[in-house]
Amino acid sequence: MTTLRIENLHVAVSGKEILKGVNLTVKTGEMHAIMGPNGTGKSTLSQTIMGHPAYEITAGHIYLDAQDLSDLPVDARARAGLFLAMQYPSEIQGVTNAEFMRAAINARRPEDQQMGIMAFIEQLDEKREFLGMTEEMADRYLNAGFSGGEKKRNEILQMMMIQPKIAILDEIDSGLDIDALKVVSRGVNHMRSKDFGTLMITHYQRLLDYIVPDYVHVMMGGKIVKTGDAALAQKLEAEGYAGLRDELGLDIVLTDEDADQYVEVAHD
Amino acid sequence: MIDAQTLPLPDFPKVRYSAWQLDALSPSQATYETPQFLTDESGIEVSGLTTTYLALSADLQAQGVRLTSLMAAQKQWPELVADLMHRVIPATADRLTAQNAVQYNTGIFLYIPAHVVVPDVLHLVLNQLALTGDDLVARLLIYVGAHAKVSLLQQLNTIGDQKTKASVVIELIAAADAQVNYANLDQFGPQTTAYINRQAQINDRATVDCANVAFSDGQVLTELRSHANGEGATTHVCVSALTYQKQTQGFVTAVQNVGRHSVGHIFQRGVILNKSTLVFNGIGRIIKGAKGADAQQESRVLMLSRRARGDANPLLLIDENDVTAGHAASVGRVDEQQLYYLMSRGLSQTVARRLVIRGFLGDVLAALPTPSARQRVIAEIERKLQDEQ
Repeated sequence: MTTLRIENLHVAVSGKEILKGVNLTVKTGEMHAIMGPNGTGKSTLSQTIMGHPAYEITAGHIYLDAQDLSDLPVDARARAGLFLAMQYPSEIQGVTNAEFMRAAINARRPEDQQMGIMAFIEQLDEKREFLGMTEEMADRYLNAGFSGGEKKRNEILQMMMIQPKIAILDEIDSGLDIDALKVVSRGVNHMRSKDFGTLMITHYQRLLDYIVPDYVHVMMGGKIVKTGDAALAQKLEAEGYAGLRDELGLDIVLTDEDADQYVEVAHD
Repeated sequence: MIDAQTLPLPDFPKVRYSAWQLDALSPSQATYETPQFLTDESGIEVSGLTTTYLALSADLQAQGVRLTSLMAAQKQWPELVADLMHRVIPATADRLTAQNAVQYNTGIFLYIPAHVVVPDVLHLVLNQLALTGDDLVARLLIYVGAHAKVSLLQQLNTIGDQKTKASVVIELIAAADAQVNYANLDQFGPQTTAYINRQAQINDRATVDCANVAFSDGQVLTELRSHANGEGATTHVCVSALTYQKQTQGFVTAVQNVGRHSVGHIFQRGVILNKSTLVFNGIGRIIKGAKGADAQQESRVLMLSRRARGDANPLLLIDENDVTAGHAASVGRVDEQQLYYLMSRGLSQTVARRLVIRGFLGDVLAALPTPSARQRVIAEIERKLQDEQ
């Protein structure tokens, strides 16, 4: 069993504190969902777990089993078993999907046990078909010219090929029509096992109709303010975040301002 | 007789090359026995003064396609060669061009008559023999007739490791409605200082799409000029350059829109490593009367070392009102977001960085006509990045 443990995590972006003490434990075999209004730090949490350099941990820890992740660069975190399905996957010309995925798989294997091309193609074909993706996608350049829906499917395909222990899915439902949402959900449900845990981040309850979580966490103002089961998501859908905030007596201004905008500024 | 020394040197802004002594050439007389690059492809390989490989299908020969060394062509079809030569590049354009015109002693001739569609990629391989200290002085002359269609892969290589110079002048004529894909792979060796002048004349409704891969190891000046003379003449010029160690590569990439509704697009990508220098000068010129012409250019340079030097200078010269034109240029570093994305899948920083760099050059890779050419370029990128460590 693998455990991702987040303790009192505080994170700043460009000097502004976004996460203000997050505590969360995700074990293999469990499906977690984090919901919350815009600008509350959900994406910040996912990027910080993966190790994006723009996010600075100012206090607290993230552990994968006994390993403190702050000691590990991004690629080592991935090889240790983490996966992040990104909201905005990069496009890279000149590097085919197939070549990239095989490199990612082989990065996890010792020199003398590299996956051969035939074995790889066999696996790729099976999973690609499962996700209803065309054969030519393998030879297309990584995400280049992919539609929003194709990119999301490709993220899930990568997850299925790489077989991580813990996957963070950052708004994989955004920009998907209902058919694509079903396909993507099918992929995630297919991964469900005692050796796989997931942390889904979403604005909407809709995704959770297709991927039913064991735990639902609500994040507001940079903290997890409530944890429940799938019924909590239903309740939120009915009452909204403001209702929950008032019920908990929290002094938080809900805003549509997305915390990620600070990252964009930092990149410029 | 032309006196080359009285003419000015060609203008390569921001490239200091006077010490390269490109205007003092001693043409090599070296010959060679065997082909080094072609095995079963359609095409020709010329090494020094020798044609070491020639394969052209009987069908194409029957349709009148002529492919030989330039010297052989001058013997067999003297009037034709004389008529075509210097149509695109006047012998007196500048000192280096003139010198080539006076001193060339090898080269390649390709003539494709009107309406001939060439099914295979034709390979035009020219190898410099750096076996003595003497220099390569060569010309390529390519004529593609009206409505003809062809895809060319032109290669420049060095065999041997002596310190030498190379002067190569390439003229391409695309007659009305011709369609030409012209890809070249320049891979002169580290001891070769080269001058490459490659120009195309594009007539009515003809299209010439160029993928210029500049991966030589030594000092190189490259002039790429397209003359969109015809009505609706179209050209896309893609340049991909990689400089490393202490080399300098300087480019003048120009499109001249003469014809009405002619289209000239320049797209340049450069990667600069170590202590090398790369200069892109992009020139879009629209002549008065070229109504409806379109001149666009984009030059992007990736600097991977603090000791490297890079320049991207766009220039638009427009003498007509009814046109569209634009330019973009940038000098930047590796895209951190792409790097992060690849590393988040477990690829080491070294591997991820290589893929990002390859991705940066990827548009040009995609334009190469054969998988083996793409593989060769990928291997070259890997080799030069290895050297970086």
